[in-house]
Amino acid sequence: MGECVLVVDDDREIVKAIGILLAAEGYEVLKAYDGLQALDILSTRQVGLVLIDVMMPKLDGLSAVMRIREKQNIPIIVLSAKSEDSDKVLGLSMGADDYVSKPYNPKELAARVKSHLRRYTSLGDIHANNRADEIKNGRLIYKTDEKILYADGEAVKLTATETKIVELFMRNLGRIFPAEEIYRRVWEEEAFASENTVMVHIRRIREKMELNPKEPEYLKVVWGIGYKMEKQEKSV
Amino acid sequence: MDTKWKNRKRAFSFIIFFLGVSLTLGGLTGLIKDKSGGKRIWHPGKILENDYQESGRFRDYIENRLETLLIMAAGGVPYRTWEFDSGYYYGGDYGILSEGGYGYEYGGEFDYFYKEAEWEGYSEREAQESAYNSSAENDGSVGNQLTEEDIKEIAQKYHDAIKGDKNLLYSVSYDGEVLYANSDALNSDIGLDALGGKPTEGTPLEDYNFFLYFDGEKVRIVKDGREADVYGDGYYRAENGSGEGSWWYVPGYSNFPTDEAMKKARVFLAAAKEPVIYSEGVYGFRQFDNTLYWLHYECSAKQKALFREAVCLTVGAGLLLLGFLCRKSRREALLAIAGFQAKIWVEGKALLVLLMLCAASFIAIKSNYGYGIWEEIVIAYDYEPGMEAVSALSREMIRNLPPVFYIVIFWTVYFIWNDVRHNKKIWRHGLTAKLCRAFTVKNLSRPLSRKMAKRNAVVFIGAVVYEALITVFVIWGKTASGSASVWISRNAVLWITFVLTVAGAVILAMLAYFTGRKNMETARDLEVLALNISEIRKGNYTDMGKDFSGHDLEDMMAQLEDIRHGIAKAVDEQMKSERMKVELIANVSHDIKTPLTSIISYVQFLKQEEGLPDHVKDYIKILDEKSQRLKNMVQDVFAVSKAASGELPMHMEELDFGKLLRQTMADMGEEIGKSAVAFRTEIPESAVMIMADGQRMYRVFQNLFQNAIKYSLDGSRVYVTLKTDGELAVASVKNTSHLELDKGKDFTERFIRGDESRTDGGSGLGLSIAQSFTEACGGKFSFETDADLFIVKVSFKTLHNTI
Repeated sequence: MGECVLVVDDDREIVKAIGILLAAEGYEVLKAYDGLQALDILSTRQVGLVLIDVMMPKLDGLSAVMRIREKQNIPIIVLSAKSEDSDKVLGLSMGADDYVSKPYNPKELAARVKSHLRRYTSLGDIHANNRADEIKNGRLIYKTDEKILYADGEAVKLTATETKIVELFMRNLGRIFPAEEIYRRVWEEEAFASENTVMVHIRRIREKMELNPKEPEYLKVVWGIGYKMEKQEKSV
Repeated sequence: MDTKWKNRKRAFSFIIFFLGVSLTLGGLTGLIKDKSGGKRIWHPGKILENDYQESGRFRDYIENRLETLLIMAAGGVPYRTWEFDSGYYYGGDYGILSEGGYGYEYGGEFDYFYKEAEWEGYSEREAQESAYNSSAENDGSVGNQLTEEDIKEIAQKYHDAIKGDKNLLYSVSYDGEVLYANSDALNSDIGLDALGGKPTEGTPLEDYNFFLYFDGEKVRIVKDGREADVYGDGYYRAENGSGEGSWWYVPGYSNFPTDEAMKKARVFLAAAKEPVIYSEGVYGFRQFDNTLYWLHYECSAKQKALFREAVCLTVGAGLLLLGFLCRKSRREALLAIAGFQAKIWVEGKALLVLLMLCAASFIAIKSNYGYGIWEEIVIAYDYEPGMEAVSALSREMIRNLPPVFYIVIFWTVYFIWNDVRHNKKIWRHGLTAKLCRAFTVKNLSRPLSRKMAKRNAVVFIGAVVYEALITVFVIWGKTASGSASVWISRNAVLWITFVLTVAGAVILAMLAYFTGRKNMETARDLEVLALNISEIRKGNYTDMGKDFSGHDLEDMMAQLEDIRHGIAKAVDEQMKSERMKVELIANVSHDIKTPLTSIISYVQFLKQEEGLPDHVKDYIKILDEKSQRLKNMVQDVFAVSKAASGELPMHMEELDFGKLLRQTMADMGEEIGKSAVAFRTEIPESAVMIMADGQRMYRVFQNLFQNAIKYSLDGSRVYVTLKTDGELAVASVKNTSHLELDKGKDFTERFIRGDESRTDGGSGLGLSIAQSFTEACGGKFSFETDADLFIVKVSFKTLHNTI
């Protein structure tokens, strides 16, 4: 039996679908259909992660998140049909750890659940002490002595060039690099038509470390300027 | 009872003030006018001194007589005096000598002497005088022809002419021999005693108090027994000749030319204390010189006048002091007068002022000789055109003005001032103002074009009338002067022309001013109107808040305001409805998303199901595709409606347009590689900086490239170019459509696609989103079709720090 996940949504079919999805990944799934029910279950059962919808009868999702946060520090993923940036910001500021908009990508959702659970359970104590030979950024850790990138504690398999690129970005979190500079510093050659080469590598890195490579959270393009590694403020 | 007393008090105080000012002004101007030259107004004692011997005219007379007698003593011709005596005087103060100085010696011998004097115009002895006298009538042919006997005879005649006037005693001797004398007393000890300052009681010189003795080199003057300081520092200055001190223009000055012959000449003069008139013949038919008598007479008359004026001044000043004490009631009186003045129409006032000015000018003309001053000016111009003549004439005019003139002018100005001070905008109360108001009210209801046309017509007609009048009078004046028959008529015409020119010019200028002012106001208003229109065009619907009431453009402005309000309201409502639309779409898309989530989720499960028949798998595949498309559509609809309503949050930053295109293409590398079209690019390596939201612009070009891939003919090429002229950066995407393009179809319309059947995966919103996003970033989005060529252009203003 894996971890226990609580799924809260007033749409029973969606709860059921997520249940099937997560059960297939080996999680135990608890179901609730409004905020109050969710709070009830949380008060009686040991839950590893909460997936919660925003618009629900009796007690809405965001209020429920706030109530949960008063007592527990478990990861919470908000699942909502509202896809605006402002909605995401609101959800995260209320205490949620992640925000997934509907209609969700099943694979992505599963990956996120897995990521959050892993970090919460198995990596909790590692987070506590900062070590000099590693750079942390959200769910990513780059160990400079080993030259290995860990995502949710799992080593990401990267080629030598990709590792160089990742190291450059991890050592300069938030800094924007033009393609030419990346090319010069990684390939150590004069840059020429570097955009495509760099982009191909970045895409590959994303596929290996991002939860949803099409909507990257870490390795981002700054359109018309360059590329950067987003610095994640929240690291659980 | 109380009010009656108050009224009386006011009247009294005003009368006191009136008399005080009038008397003071009259006395003061009279004193200034009548006082003899050189005496200062702040020396009242000197002004009122009744001694004719202290006047400049007396000094002139004595100086001239001395010079003539000296010439006679030395054997010259005493013509200079005759020039003087017959009115052709030069040098000295003409004004003082205007009346009393000549004209009483016109005796029997006058003609003879005059003629002789004219001949002597070329005596070498009198070089400087001859220069003056060499006028046209002297051609020099008769000069230097006088024999010694002739000269002697002239001198003798002169002696005969003046000796009867015992007001001035004289004795002329040369080399010890008495030549001419009208009193023996001067040659005796009595004369020497008098010169020595001894009293003359009981002697023939009893009535004489002024003695002058020329000893061959210098002049001694004894007056009232006191020796006068004749020479000062020994250098003669004309400005010291009259006025304070006794500076005489006599031989003995270092700058007075004398010659050897004069060294032997002796002249003794004595002037009477109180001259009397001397005459001979029946009824005193022939008068002698008598200049001193008339001088004395005039002097006395003037002293009396000055005394009167001094009294006036004193009384006036006293009254003014009194008036100062009751100034409060005077102020009330002035207020009452102002109240009365307020009731009079301004035209009436103007007429009164005109009358006053007429009276003043009548006084001025009357006091400046009998004939009019204008003729004087005309003559002055005829003789010697120029400012000098005019200024000399006006100086003399002012000198001749009587105190009454100043009083009239003062009170006219004073009452105008009183009126203006107490009654605001006096021109408002009058017939003209009433007519103007009526006209204005009527005028305001006319349309603008009529108003302006009418205004121009008024100025034009005024100008035409003015020109016609001037032309007629100039022609008339020309013909009248041409005929030269009546000199007066010419002057009259000139006078009328002058008045008409000035009056017409003033009226025309006023007309031009008023209409011009109105037109200027309209021009300024037009500027405001134009500004308002352009502001409205720019989308600024706030009220300008300027008041145009009474202006030409009042109606127009009001209408524009209406339009502005209308537009503002419409825009407001449009915004509101747009917002509502976005809200509606947001709600609807949310409501669609929830069931869609279930559909997609379960389709996924179905896809993973194994052992299904092939046709069921086909169905599932269709379900999968359509649900994905529905998802895209919902998201796109939401995005485009938000962008169109301007509620899309933007994150503007400086970015490189070229890099954006390269990145987008690199990002879509896989898609492009898999497609059946090839991309050709022409993007400058150097940065082309623009201000935009990178994420949105990525979306724009993603859509454009996807469109190009989707709708291009297989095997054709897509051209992506970026061009900039330094001001504008234009990116264009050209592709050849695989379907025939409808001409004139707006592809950016929502849900419009190249093919109408809508079976492909797009939402039909690609171009619409691209357009909305571009415009939201401040760029321009346009497309054109040329046969099957489809060209999209996205242009941005470049930032200045590039290229």
